[in-house]
Amino acid sequence: MTDAAPAFRIGDRVRVKSAKLDGNPRTPPYIRGKVGVVTGIHGRIDNPVDHHGVYPPLYTVEFEVREVFGTDSADRLAVDIHDDWLEAL
Amino acid sequence: MADTIIRPHSHMQDFEAHVRAVEEDLEYYRTKRFEPRVIHFHRRGAITFYDILEAAAAAPAASAGVQTVHDADHVHDTLEPRIRAVEDRLDAYVKNIALTGVPVRGNRMVIDDGRIERGDYDPFLRIAKKPHGGTLAERIAHLEEDMTRYERLLHAFTQALVIAGALDPAALDRQRAQAGEPSMRNGARIVARAWVDPTFKEALLSKGREAVRELDIPPGRLGKMGVAENTEAVHNVVVCTLCSCYPYDLLGDTPWWYKSEAYRQQIVRDPRGTLAQMFGLQVPSHIAVRVHDSTSDIRWIVLPRRPAGTEGWSEDELATLVTRESLIGTAEALSPGERDALRQLGAAE
Repeated sequence: MTDAAPAFRIGDRVRVKSAKLDGNPRTPPYIRGKVGVVTGIHGRIDNPVDHHGVYPPLYTVEFEVREVFGTDSADRLAVDIHDDWLEAL
Repeated sequence: MADTIIRPHSHMQDFEAHVRAVEEDLEYYRTKRFEPRVIHFHRRGAITFYDILEAAAAAPAASAGVQTVHDADHVHDTLEPRIRAVEDRLDAYVKNIALTGVPVRGNRMVIDDGRIERGDYDPFLRIAKKPHGGTLAERIAHLEEDMTRYERLLHAFTQALVIAGALDPAALDRQRAQAGEPSMRNGARIVARAWVDPTFKEALLSKGREAVRELDIPPGRLGKMGVAENTEAVHNVVVCTLCSCYPYDLLGDTPWWYKSEAYRQQIVRDPRGTLAQMFGLQVPSHIAVRVHDSTSDIRWIVLPRRPAGTEGWSEDELATLVTRESLIGTAEALSPGERDALRQLGAAE
């Protein structure tokens, strides 16, 4: 269900916005303001059962636990984030 | 190493854990699934509290047929059957809530509405959960009483839907009979097919649920299915930190720990440590751990690695090695030996 070319490509480094009051609220707080890498492009997902209207295109963005929480973990976090929450670096 | 803390397949060894699971589930379904719907319909005047009262008067709930034992002297003999009875009633409660998901007078409640009503986005709107406490016998008695009250409201609400013409009683009986078939067997079949059929696996990883149609698995309500493949380099695990999004139609009922604050908070902060501490799963240090947070419309499942010693196995046989936990990523698929040991345990009980 991708229409236009996606704004980000696999491998792009992106920053999650710290706040976006009119965006959909499902960007978890722990990831806001953090930098990650786009690893998946899902386009606009048509889900009339769950939503009014269609949300902006969706990406999977991977983060390092180390950078997000400041621990010495080598593990990673993959979070699904909509276009309007992301800015290019 | 012995099995650690969480083994939902085992039969009732730990009464406390069973009671706690029912307490958590019951309050979850009441405050997150059912009552937000009632409030939503009332707000919009589709089914009001007064409609519900009238429906209750017109069709009183049948007694649940469960006699409540309050006599503390012989509680010990009766604990286990009483726990099983509340578990069964919880199952029925959950299924009957699902049957109320119908549009009324053009008002369809979408999942977003439910999230708003139940306070996912605004804690102010959350419905208070009932605190639990006391001895085990007291807690079971509380559950029995709560269940009766909760069933009564659900029954009245369902009747109000029937009176409003939103639910057809005959169709309701049919649906009731069929309810509850989503189970982790669907997820297991997908994994087993992917293990034997590389073309299917490719399609699964790139297209998700479109690939699954060929297995006659009902499409369900998933927005989109995401499959995270475990490899020699990465072990995947799924969580929903915001609420408890879960691929219900592929994996069946959500395990209680998946909804627990402990799991949802710890797994993202210390993935490897949480797998070890909560689930006894030691991921070797050369394998990276990747947590998928189900924050949007993608419902992630894990494609576990095929266990060794299964060369030449049929798809059906392979599917018996896939557990719900392995599909969430808090365990590996069973080895043939582990499966046989579990079967023996089951036969012995």
